[in-house]
Amino acid sequence: MIEFKNVTKGYEKNNSDALKDVSLFIDKGEFVFLVGRSGAGKSTFIKLLLREIEATKGSIYINNYNVANLSKKEIPFLRRKMGIVFQDFRLLENKSVYENVAYAMEIIGKSEKQIRKRVPLALDMVGLAHRINHYPHELSGGEQQRVVIARAIINNPTILICDEPTGNLDPETSYEIICILQEINRRGTTVVVVTHDREIVDNMQKRVLTLEDGILKVDDATGRYGYEV
Amino acid sequence: MKFSSLKTMPRNVIRDTVKSIERNNLMSVASVLSVIAALIILGIFLILTMNVQEVTQDVESKLELKVFLEAEYTELQKTKVEKALNDSKLIETVDFESSQEALDNFTVSLDDYAPLLSGYNSENNPMPASFIIRVKDPEDLEAVQTLAMSFNENGVEYVRYGQEYVEALITFNRFTNTLSIVVLIVLSLISIFIIYNTIKLTVFARRKEIGIMKYVGATNGYIRAPFILEGTFLGLIGAIVAFLIIRIAYYYILGLIGGNTFLPVDASLASPSVVMGKLAIFFLIYGGFIGAVGSIFAIRKFLDV
Repeated sequence: MIEFKNVTKGYEKNNSDALKDVSLFIDKGEFVFLVGRSGAGKSTFIKLLLREIEATKGSIYINNYNVANLSKKEIPFLRRKMGIVFQDFRLLENKSVYENVAYAMEIIGKSEKQIRKRVPLALDMVGLAHRINHYPHELSGGEQQRVVIARAIINNPTILICDEPTGNLDPETSYEIICILQEINRRGTTVVVVTHDREIVDNMQKRVLTLEDGILKVDDATGRYGYEV
Repeated sequence: MKFSSLKTMPRNVIRDTVKSIERNNLMSVASVLSVIAALIILGIFLILTMNVQEVTQDVESKLELKVFLEAEYTELQKTKVEKALNDSKLIETVDFESSQEALDNFTVSLDDYAPLLSGYNSENNPMPASFIIRVKDPEDLEAVQTLAMSFNENGVEYVRYGQEYVEALITFNRFTNTLSIVVLIVLSLISIFIIYNTIKLTVFARRKEIGIMKYVGATNGYIRAPFILEGTFLGLIGAIVAFLIIRIAYYYILGLIGGNTFLPVDASLASPSVVMGKLAIFFLIYGGFIGAVGSIFAIRKFLDV
């Protein structure tokens, strides 16, 4: 569950606000696309969710917690409720596929036994069970992104945030990735996909939020890409 | 943090630390060498200070002040002086030595030359009676002298102690103490800076990993731990090597001078095992401390995500 109430975010350097009075509600288990041009405020939106930055005005609720009230020490625990998929993958090159996914569990202190049990399941879910001992540089872009998704869901987050997950991939691979995200969503995880990929948005027929110059322009329940290129 | 994380964390942390040292082995070696160099210089000063303190204390404990009475003092004068001395808070002990005792002691101390004094007896004894005073703090010798001299013309003839000598010793002691503290501070800053730079390189090399850790929800403590451990470890390694070098060199030099301390006084150096024990403890604590401090500074700004 994500709720923005009249959120404005301004950066000190710029005069114009990156987000202007944005209010939105994403329910548990929804699948939502967030689209917009570069500089429309998409990155700001993600950073606010991760509490990397704080809103200038307004309040943000994640799973009914007001993130503004979180102390610095509590931020890691907020992030454990969210899985994040990056456009540029951000895998550790010196760790194998298995180790990369296991790493996310180690960090939050899961036992070796739990790790051995859960990592293969997650890799199986993204269709990479046969690549478990490979290293990132031996994988294709699509495969690397699957590892990232496995890492993002390994700790059972309630929300999965994907920042341009298909930005570096060809259309066919992109489609496969989106299918995996859809499958994850079907199992109950809220999925937010920030994307430029018009074709995918139009095909999926999901809810689409369109940001333009920091303003939430369109909130379309059965999505069409909300602005003309 | 859940309880299970406490169990797995140390193992992961140690693994990451070892990997990091391996990866940056050249920089790690460089920073260990710097710590060694700094600690050796520091060690030399500390040994010097410890020995100077030992010698000073040794000499100080032997320092006494003699208040000589006039040849024709009266019993009343003696009692008054004695009372004043006993009442003084600066004084540890007061012993009276009569002129007869002084002559006897002198005769004993002359040993083989005692017959030189054979012409003297209680009738024509040239030795004056005196109070032998030990003060609590040698820095108060002068005050006690002033006190005793206030009885000049009232039974006290003169007061004697190794004035210039004591002052020089106290000055030298203060000097080595100050110098050691200055050296300690300067070298600490240098060592911390060097470790800081090494760890910063490590942190920089692993910034991607740190970013991922943060997004996956690692606590700052968890992220920080391997770096602090690495810095502490480098500091400790430097401390141990520096200590071994100093220990070997110190015993070698002690062997060379063979008990001849070249000191103008009758005083012994500090016991080598005590000096080395103190130095070992100091080096370990200090090495670990500067390593940890350097690391904490190095990682601070990278954690701000």
